[in-house]
Amino acid sequence: MDRTTRRLLSAGLVIGACAGSFLLARGARKPFSVDAPEFRRRGTAEAKIAIVEFSDFECPACRVAQPPLRSLMKVYDGKVRLVFKHFPFTMHHSARPAAIAAECAGRQGRFWPYHDLLYERQENWVGEKDNEALASYAKELKLDEATWQACRKDPAVDAAVSADSQDGKNAWVGATPTFFINGKRFVGAYNLSERGVPFIDKELKK
Amino acid sequence: MSARSLPPALGLAARLVVGGVLVYAGAIKAAGPAEEFALVIGAYQVVPQDMSLTLATFLPWAEMLIGWALLLGFRLRAAGIASCALFGGFLFALATVQLRGIQLPNCGCFGDAVHFTPAQAFLVDAGLSALAYLAWRSAPSALSLDNWAQGGYTGTHGKR
Repeated sequence: MDRTTRRLLSAGLVIGACAGSFLLARGARKPFSVDAPEFRRRGTAEAKIAIVEFSDFECPACRVAQPPLRSLMKVYDGKVRLVFKHFPFTMHHSARPAAIAAECAGRQGRFWPYHDLLYERQENWVGEKDNEALASYAKELKLDEATWQACRKDPAVDAAVSADSQDGKNAWVGATPTFFINGKRFVGAYNLSERGVPFIDKELKK
Repeated sequence: MSARSLPPALGLAARLVVGGVLVYAGAIKAAGPAEEFALVIGAYQVVPQDMSLTLATFLPWAEMLIGWALLLGFRLRAAGIASCALFGGFLFALATVQLRGIQLPNCGCFGDAVHFTPAQAFLVDAGLSALAYLAWRSAPSALSLDNWAQGGYTGTHGKR
């Protein structure tokens, strides 16, 4: 075997090793569900565009993403459906109680108003130890308080939030908000507006 | 330390450590979503926002390529220089972030697998830079594809 052949074989080995390590790492990916209870869905059920949002109520970037998301839903009214998935980061200590509170509001049919209040007043409730603000929002939205309080202690609700988080981890969500538009990933409000909207137009033309 | 006085075992160990770290970091990011890594690159504010996604797509592959080249000893000198340049770039980016007081969600070094603070990442990258330098100085090496491709002859391509 001459030197040129050996060099080519060496280069092939390096490239093959790259491809092999990539495939090995990719094999560690797990499937994830984009499903959510009815109360966490918005828009037209049979719409051509499905947006799945992984979000954390304590995350400022998620709050920033709400106005462009709302206007997107308005512009593409009837053509888009949105599914909300909880992804509370453990470093955000108020995020999980807020996710559970919103989930319990959802069980009384008021998920979206509660969701909007959490983002609008994010700086008022984040860091609160007694979660008084969360309870005051439940009152403001005229939820049945006893049912809402009991729901917050329900392990099934906590498990539902955990299941969403696990779906996010399986989807390799590392930052919030992460949107999947017809399966394609867009991270953050800028990405949603700058790349997500043209992508929706493209999908609608198909 | 001159090239001739560098113990071969030390050079080999440096190559294996730097190569292994680069392959792991590259593979985990290449297999993960480029958009997540692009967000971290964007947070550094050292490249234009529009370039973040392109860089996030290609940088992990460059890391893997350099990593495997070091591990297998392919174009060892070039791989050593490339790894030094790569860590130099990382150190520059981390230093500017520290100086400008930018808060990073994470350093982006290992995707979502390992999270370092910028200060920790700086120390790790500084250590790896030193090892990358040793890996570069270790060329030519008997335990390498270069050596095999040369038919066991490593006498001249190692001249500096």
